[in-house]
Amino acid sequence: MASRALLAVISASPNRCFISSSWIKIQSSSSSSSLSLHLQRHSRKIQLIGRSYSSETKSSEFQPPDVSSLAETARISLTPAEVEECETKIRRVIDWFGQLQQVDVNSVEPSIRAEMEGGNLREDAPETFENSESIRASIPSFEEAYLKVPKILNKE
Amino acid sequence: MLSTLQPPRSLSLRRFQTSKLIVSSASSSVTSPPQSQILTTRRSLLSGETTVSEIAKSYLSRIRLTEPQLKCFLHVSENVLKDAQEIDQRIAKGEELGPLAGVIIGVKDNICTQGMPSTAASRILEHYRPPFDATVIKKIKDLGGIVVGKTNMDEFGMGSTTEASAFQVTVNPWDLTRVPGGSSGGSAAAVAARQCMVSLGSDTGGSVRQPASFCGVVGLKPTYGRVSRFGLMAYASSLDVIGCFGSTVADAGMLLHAVSGYDRFDSTSSKQDVPEFQSQFLSVDHFESKPLKGVKVGIIRETLEDGVDSGVRSATQEAASHLEALGCILTEVSLPSFSLGLPAYYVIASSESSSNLSRYDGVRYGNQVMAEELNKLYECSRGEGFGGEVKMRILMGTYALSAGYYDAYYKRAQQVRTLIQKDFKAALEQNDILISPAAPSAAYKIGEKKDDPLAMYAGDIMTVNVNLAGLPAMVLPCGLVEGGPSGLPVGLQMIGAAFDEAKLLKVGHIFEQTLKGSSFVPPLLANIA
Repeated sequence: MASRALLAVISASPNRCFISSSWIKIQSSSSSSSLSLHLQRHSRKIQLIGRSYSSETKSSEFQPPDVSSLAETARISLTPAEVEECETKIRRVIDWFGQLQQVDVNSVEPSIRAEMEGGNLREDAPETFENSESIRASIPSFEEAYLKVPKILNKE
Repeated sequence: MLSTLQPPRSLSLRRFQTSKLIVSSASSSVTSPPQSQILTTRRSLLSGETTVSEIAKSYLSRIRLTEPQLKCFLHVSENVLKDAQEIDQRIAKGEELGPLAGVIIGVKDNICTQGMPSTAASRILEHYRPPFDATVIKKIKDLGGIVVGKTNMDEFGMGSTTEASAFQVTVNPWDLTRVPGGSSGGSAAAVAARQCMVSLGSDTGGSVRQPASFCGVVGLKPTYGRVSRFGLMAYASSLDVIGCFGSTVADAGMLLHAVSGYDRFDSTSSKQDVPEFQSQFLSVDHFESKPLKGVKVGIIRETLEDGVDSGVRSATQEAASHLEALGCILTEVSLPSFSLGLPAYYVIASSESSSNLSRYDGVRYGNQVMAEELNKLYECSRGEGFGGEVKMRILMGTYALSAGYYDAYYKRAQQVRTLIQKDFKAALEQNDILISPAAPSAAYKIGEKKDDPLAMYAGDIMTVNVNLAGLPAMVLPCGLVEGGPSGLPVGLQMIGAAFDEAKLLKVGHIFEQTLKGSSFVPPLLANIA
């Protein structure tokens, strides 16, 4: 299957292939880095189109994803089965994200999006939306000019 | 399985004989160049050969006939015939025809259509009818276009197969056991099956181009900022664009022209002029012997390395040879940052989705699960409303944006985006366009990658970099590989400089009109016609 060959997560083995481009530095597998990932227990080599990046580290300040806690932050209820399934999948993907830590981005400015002209904001002036009745009709619980929600409790 | 799609021949002929438009496209000979549906429609209306109502009826018949198997649409408009009659009345009064008069258009379900369901294929928006039209829809209606319905997709655009729709799985018209690609799979398959003439999709990391490749149609992703996104349900705001599908380059280009331009409701839309694309679509009779003489084409080395199906590689190389035969100067280019685009893309897209999708709270619109406490209401509404892939991406994004992790993930991915933008800029200073395959393989089987996110993500390797750089790109069919009852289409991706869609359309149109040996009409359509 083509795309499996494109991106294969395989067991750790000696480094064997590096990018030659001057701006990419592959870290030694024994070095520690403040930006290294939590991969002590999951040494992986991630191979992309014939190139390999070692993401193996000995120390890390990052915690592996705690799905239940993330779900609480994101306000999504999950069943125990979903937590289990997400745990495995998310961990694999986050591990795979780890290869970005190997790229030397010193002195590279981040781009928030493609280059484009600025100054396209419209005047900050209120306008009347004619079809407001339709907006109200979409509200699941509505009572005379108010959105209705259950009681709000402060969590300790 | 295909036989189940074929109606009794007499029935299909009786149903479709009212429109020569459809039959002519479906039964065109193998070697004749494909014809623009939009221009053919216009000519037929102007000459009085047919009416918009007749055209609309024939498309609705085709939808009724093919939809039970293909499942491209989540909603078919009940106003199509009424809209058609109104345009016919305007024609009868001698009013000027808008450039999209009588054009039957499918719209991806994450684009808001006033009073018509717009769900982004998510349970959380089931039955939601927006109170406004997206700017692209308003433009289409103002120009005489008819929205025939809302097309299926991966929920909120998160997927590459359309299997992640909460409602149904769309199949590929070339082989009903295969995926149409995604996330705009419904829009691509609907055009391939001629259920509509053109359609709108959205492209965050390849969601127009990859399904175009899988379904054998043209998919056009414009420059970031070319088309207003007002009314597009946001997934990853730094990447999302609305794109166009057509069965020809001219159709995709004319639809793009219709929906392009600055919109005061979208501050990321650009004030750059929108050139008249139609002058690029010369008839094949007017081509010179080397119509693309001197056009510099760079073939991206990294896109033809290990991991790409041999059939796809061959088709791309043959397409490159065809461009050379047309007069192009072909060179190989390297984009050293190419392979980093995939993880950077998924960090950025997941992070931005976790923020964008926080608006779906079950309070202001969409489905609500009542609870005794407000946070529980949010959690249960979102827990029941979102599908598995959406939940996973929101959680990954939440992780990447967590305190202390932002610099290591989101910021770092944005720095990688800068590297990718620089590499593309350098390559496009040396070349007019760049080419690559649209995807590493042709359409694969339904269910094949459903439970393996990394395998699914890997299929986006050819397209995500273009979104990170914000560049325009077009995918058009360039060959067939083995598979399915009569082969599977493969798309060629052409990438241009920012706001230079005109060049892509020119090169693409000449390429398409001169390509010999393949007809990109799915077998089920040829059988119907």
